Amino acid sequence: MSLAHYLFLGSLLFLIGVFGALTRRNILGILMSIELMFNAANINLAAFNRFLHPQGVVGQALALFIITIAAAELVAGLALVLAIYRNTDTVYVEDFNLLKG
Amino acid sequence: MIEQLVFYSLAAVAVLSALGVVTMKNSVHSALMLGLALAAVAGVFALLGADFLFAGQVLIYVSGIAVLIMFVVMLLGRTYDLHLRQVNNQWLAGLLICGITFSGLWRVIGLFSESRAHSAPVPGTRLLGRLLMSDYALPFELISLILMASLLGAVYFSRSERSQSSSTNP
Repeated sequence: MSLAHYLFLGSLLFLIGVFGALTRRNILGILMSIELMFNAANINLAAFNRFLHPQGVVGQALALFIITIAAAELVAGLALVLAIYRNTDTVYVEDFNLLKG
Repeated sequence: MIEQLVFYSLAAVAVLSALGVVTMKNSVHSALMLGLALAAVAGVFALLGADFLFAGQVLIYVSGIAVLIMFVVMLLGRTYDLHLRQVNNQWLAGLLICGITFSGLWRVIGLFSESRAHSAPVPGTRLLGRLLMSDYALPFELISLILMASLLGAVYFSRSERSQSSSTNP
């Protein structure tokens, strides 16, 4: 197995996440796609750490920070989604037009 | 040989379940597929020798985040959602963007097709703990601050209207 295999898997997952974030109508679907993108970035970091810098763990530390920040982002995001749902009674992003004049 | 078998099976599970996340109509099925994709990514971490990341992924993502998303999906779900279109009408443009980005990434990936691992992976948990307590001590503390802030924000945003009015008019 070379590094290119892991990078290929990471980029494939990342682009699936990008596609989902661009095309889902449901705000929860968009959040799930963003989580996929975070995971693709983590695969890349761990793979670069393993193949190009095998004596250190800096890439793994960075991936750990990304996991933590992703958890924080998702908690705040889901709370916001609940608040928006309570005000607009919908989860579809094209209906979130409260700020439109 | 066994490494290739494990890698390709994990990659197939990860990619197929990720495709399920972005294409399925039912949000509950999407959330289940997300859990499967995250578990497959945890397996890839184990294959890369990142043992602490594997454990963290299973603990935080698979058993925390996926379950949290499942809760919210079930809170906000409606039966008529199953008859509505879940994809907007810009999917062709999205596909085009992904294709162009992939062709760019493909040229970069080609540069690394010859780099192989020369040694077996070593357990990195002890090293990771030393790193987080010496060089990365400041980011480590900042992360705890961010977690605290997001916790407070989540509690603040998800209060019900009744408790808000009672807190403003004691």
